[in-house]
Amino acid sequence: MEATLEASPAGDSPAIVADPVVDAIDRLKEKFPEAVTDDPREGYNGLMVNASQLPAVARTLKDELGFDYLSSLTGVDQIEDGKLEAVYHTYSIEKGGGSVTLHVQVDRDNPVIPSLMPIWPGADFQEREAFDMYGIHFEGHPDLRRILTWDGFNGHPLRKDWQEPFYEDAQKPFGSRWPEGNAVHRAEENNPYGKNVQYPAGWVPTGEEYDVETDMYSILKGNDGHTVDRATHMKTDKLTVNIGPQHPSTHGVFRMVVTLDGETILDLKPVMGYLHRNHEKIGERNTFLGNIPYTDRLDYLSSMGNNHGYVLAIEDLMDLDVPERAEWIRILTVELTRICNHLWALGFLLNDLGALQTPMLYFYIERELILDFFETLSGARMMCNYMRFGGVAYDLPDDVRGQPTMAFLNELVNERLPAALDQADRLMTYNEIVRARSIGVGFLSRQDAIAYSMAGPILRASGVNYDVRRAEPYSYYDQLDFDVPVFYNGDIYDRYRVRIEEMKQSIRIIKQVLPHLEATKGAPIISGKPQYAIRMPRPGEAYGRVENPKGELGYYVTTKRRSSNPERYHVRATSFINLTALGKMCIGHKIADVVAILGSIDIVLGEVDR
Amino acid sequence: MTLGQIALWGLVVGFIMSLVVITGFAYTTLLERKVLARMQARYGPNRAGYIPLPGRGKQERKLLKGFMQPAADAVKLFFKEDNTPAFADKWVYNLAPMLAVIPAILVLAVIPWAGDLPWLPEQYDYFAIVPGLNVAVLFILAVTSISVYGIVLAGWASNSKYAVLGGLRASAQMISYELAMSMTIIIPVMLANSMDLGVIVDAQKGGYYVFLQPIAAIIFCIAVMAELQRAPFDLLEAEQELSSGFNVEYGGMRFGMFFMAEYMKMVSFSAIAATLFFGGYRGPFVDQVPMLGFVYMFGKIFLGLFIMIWIRATFPRLRYDQLMSFGWKKMLPLAVLNFIVLAVVMVMAEEGAFDALQQAVLGIFG
Repeated sequence: MEATLEASPAGDSPAIVADPVVDAIDRLKEKFPEAVTDDPREGYNGLMVNASQLPAVARTLKDELGFDYLSSLTGVDQIEDGKLEAVYHTYSIEKGGGSVTLHVQVDRDNPVIPSLMPIWPGADFQEREAFDMYGIHFEGHPDLRRILTWDGFNGHPLRKDWQEPFYEDAQKPFGSRWPEGNAVHRAEENNPYGKNVQYPAGWVPTGEEYDVETDMYSILKGNDGHTVDRATHMKTDKLTVNIGPQHPSTHGVFRMVVTLDGETILDLKPVMGYLHRNHEKIGERNTFLGNIPYTDRLDYLSSMGNNHGYVLAIEDLMDLDVPERAEWIRILTVELTRICNHLWALGFLLNDLGALQTPMLYFYIERELILDFFETLSGARMMCNYMRFGGVAYDLPDDVRGQPTMAFLNELVNERLPAALDQADRLMTYNEIVRARSIGVGFLSRQDAIAYSMAGPILRASGVNYDVRRAEPYSYYDQLDFDVPVFYNGDIYDRYRVRIEEMKQSIRIIKQVLPHLEATKGAPIISGKPQYAIRMPRPGEAYGRVENPKGELGYYVTTKRRSSNPERYHVRATSFINLTALGKMCIGHKIADVVAILGSIDIVLGEVDR
Repeated sequence: MTLGQIALWGLVVGFIMSLVVITGFAYTTLLERKVLARMQARYGPNRAGYIPLPGRGKQERKLLKGFMQPAADAVKLFFKEDNTPAFADKWVYNLAPMLAVIPAILVLAVIPWAGDLPWLPEQYDYFAIVPGLNVAVLFILAVTSISVYGIVLAGWASNSKYAVLGGLRASAQMISYELAMSMTIIIPVMLANSMDLGVIVDAQKGGYYVFLQPIAAIIFCIAVMAELQRAPFDLLEAEQELSSGFNVEYGGMRFGMFFMAEYMKMVSFSAIAATLFFGGYRGPFVDQVPMLGFVYMFGKIFLGLFIMIWIRATFPRLRYDQLMSFGWKKMLPLAVLNFIVLAVVMVMAEEGAFDALQQAVLGIFG
């Protein structure tokens, strides 16, 4: 079994001649001999690209070499070299396989990189995030504003020389707050302002700060005064409405600024960051192991999936093997999480369509069972904190809800869940009003879905057959028999149906996993002994990505040799990037549709705001 | 009876019936919460108040758990802060809840609750607050349209964009559906040849109008749902879209009055529907025991309420434009067509156009 695992990730081995990644890298180097070079650093396997040539390289990569999917875009602070770096992960939808990774380094004092917005509109929010966090100026970006921190924020928080008001230390574990033993020292007292806020130079917090909002209002289309009807001389104003941040249907503290003509949407801008806690900074300070519980809090509805992506990235860096039983348990929990998440997502989508809470609560009945299983398995219902580097934390429990575990799981996947999905089909899928509300609404074409870096069910509802579990198999997914459901209309209804079908496929996967769990009973669940204080054996970067219920979740981690903390820890947050196309999907529809479209994207604000 | 006696009768009976219906409203909210909860696999309110029963052993038995919930809600609403938003039009803002709730109670004036009770004054043929009003149907139409003002003015006076959107939706929706409703409300009037609701009920002695005119009855019920802003037509409060639409800025008992108006209208429209199409207080043995009329009437109202709650628990909401096109392009033409066909048939029958046919049929069977 170990051998199959070794050979499974397609495209890792340079021996295969037709590897699209190697081929693309060779052709890029051929075409741009000056601008593109191999990354010389140890442990890095991407390309170093000259900033001025980046748009041309990206254009070639997208149009000629077929790497048309910009998965992740992020900044890195290389403070020792005096450089800021932008890292682009591009994938091929058609061929699958690994990524062509572009590294662009610019001077730290004058960080200007051409924007990739004209090539990939999906770079929009990610470039804004890199600007927000690192101050990298993306030239040509039409709307380069802060996105996660607020507009009066001082500095760029992920730069290594940035310190917050109550700064204590760069890395955990922090030194003792009372080194002498009895002197009461509070970090708060070191803050020159005496309060937990810093303002940028020239910023006068007098209540005028709301002026920064005018930036946003002024870029909204249709927000340019009134029109006068010639016959009646009646003035017609466009109405700008803030949906959120306090609103029952934004699924959290999320805000959409909407310009309306009557009930019709003229333009929409999402505003987020109200829950921003700088998860990435926290992750860079945490030890590798200590960060696992923090990943639970990203997409808190599918914490198992979050754990999985993170441990994959770290296992890649540590070259750890995972025992067979642990892999099967991981697949079991991740697929249960997918069902859990989709039940929740569909319940809330139908709730957004106005079906009170009835479908939602019907879905919860089965979701409760899964959560009960998670509780006996990991000790927590939602924040599972279950996976470890090289395995999982605990073996399967003996019984769940008074039933032997295997009997419980068998009943769940053979009887309860299929019955629940059939019921959903009967009651809701073919309901006349559901169809009237969702067919043809929130359309996203195949081209747009790829260009906007959409992921997960939204991508597959637009007719793109792309699933990380198939495109770049991790764990044992290459040995499992399942289909990737694809629908072609790109509307809310198809997103709904993709999720229903995905749940059926997840059930299918779990049915295949259960015999393996029986067979490997008592086998080790973690390789070696559990490691608590991890020192990285090698420097370098790793990008661990999994197909989370909401779409592709990626963790980009760089580290130094013998380091106990990541040097850079970036999360490719699916919900966040999926919101890029929200405005495009909503324009021309009615207010009621906005809520439904947002519901069909299925966001979790813990992941959007991070 | 003198005019003074009529007024006194109206006052006394009106007072009693209003009290009954207001209590009924409170328990309608409880009914809705309980029924919704059971349909959604939950318990619903079960904390406020219960009747303890002597249990066997240590087991405590409780009956009617949660039956004091309406009282708790009322107390909560009365003691909540009731603030007015800045720049709201205060006068209109305060007037709007009353404009919403008063018509909802007024409609009850003409509903016949029971037949010829033995202790009724001899001029009255049936029991109602204002029996024998010969424009009762017009009165219903007139009064229910007033409640639109309450909602539109509430939306406009609140100085909130959500409320304005909700209020605008309300005006458009209620006016659109009122047309279809009026076209179907005429049909019992034509059949009974009177606008007096008592006469309409009496005319249904042979068969309820729902069997005679099923299309009209169905259109009427749908239009009533829209008129009442009940799901799936609850666009103007659409929690998921406009947070709560026209009443988003209201709190405390002023919000409670909108709430009250909604549920009172549920009760009164159930009563109207029962009267017009489902035989009102009529039922088996009601001629022998007139008091049974109350039972049948309350039973029919309860059934109407239950169906409304059931629909709310099961259907998603229509979109605004779909609602409008449904009202104007489907319901209204159908209602008008139904009305015209019935009118033509009735006139033809009166003129004897079907006499030959009738003779032929009788000839065959006779």
